[in-house]
Amino acid sequence: MRRIVSIAGLTAALVLGTFGLCTGQNSHVANAQEKMPSIEVKIDNFSFGPATLTVPVGSTVTWTNRDDIPHTVVSTDDPKTFKSKVLDTDEKFSFTFSKAGTYPYFCSIHPKMTGKVVVQ
Amino acid sequence: MHPFDIRTILFAKHAQHVVLIHFPIALFIIGVFFDFLGQWKRQQLLAVAAYYNLCVAAIATLPVVVTGIVAWQWELEGQKLKGILLMHLVMGCVSSVLICLVWFIHMRTRREQEDLPGYRLPIEAAAVVIVALTGHLGGFLSGVNG
Repeated sequence: MRRIVSIAGLTAALVLGTFGLCTGQNSHVANAQEKMPSIEVKIDNFSFGPATLTVPVGSTVTWTNRDDIPHTVVSTDDPKTFKSKVLDTDEKFSFTFSKAGTYPYFCSIHPKMTGKVVVQ
Repeated sequence: MHPFDIRTILFAKHAQHVVLIHFPIALFIIGVFFDFLGQWKRQQLLAVAAYYNLCVAAIATLPVVVTGIVAWQWELEGQKLKGILLMHLVMGCVSSVLICLVWFIHMRTRREQEDLPGYRLPIEAAAVVIVALTGHLGGFLSGVNG
């Protein structure tokens, strides 16, 4: 009887421990997500808005094409840090900036469309 | 950036396409206009003017097609096109073929010293419409018609 109680107690402890660990991890992930929100850049009327964006390291920037015309998002450096495919209306492209620095970019279909992400 | 700087001109990549496209469009449309006018007024001189315009238009399509494909390959890395870009590519190719076909009909007729065939007129009219639509799509893509 004592053995059964011991096994039951151990199992309960294991279950509770595992549950606690999972809950802890979730809250950790949630905290990380709270710290690093996804930031949106809107592409509309042949311009990036905002044209200059300042974000903390580790942020994910999402570009959304709200224009009627296809656009791309391409960094100006070589080799390219990021390069999207052609984005049709309402299509999105995301990139996570893991290093500090200034990342100028442009639309390769309309090179006069330029923007900049400053990662601090 | 200087407009007469050779590096700017040569390395403008797909900007060349946007500049060069105006030549075949203008030459072809005016060539067809002269041909229709020559047919209506029965003036040989207008037919000759039409021929030379169509001739230069056909030659001018070559760099336009090349720079268009280069723009696709360089700027978009040859990725699969869809939507307006695909429509512009397909209609651009059809336009180029039609411009060359119209020129070929005129060239062969002159070489054989025959009268220009009547069937060329609907082909020319259809070609003008397709060229205009392709140009409109190109203008839309570049933001001029947007």
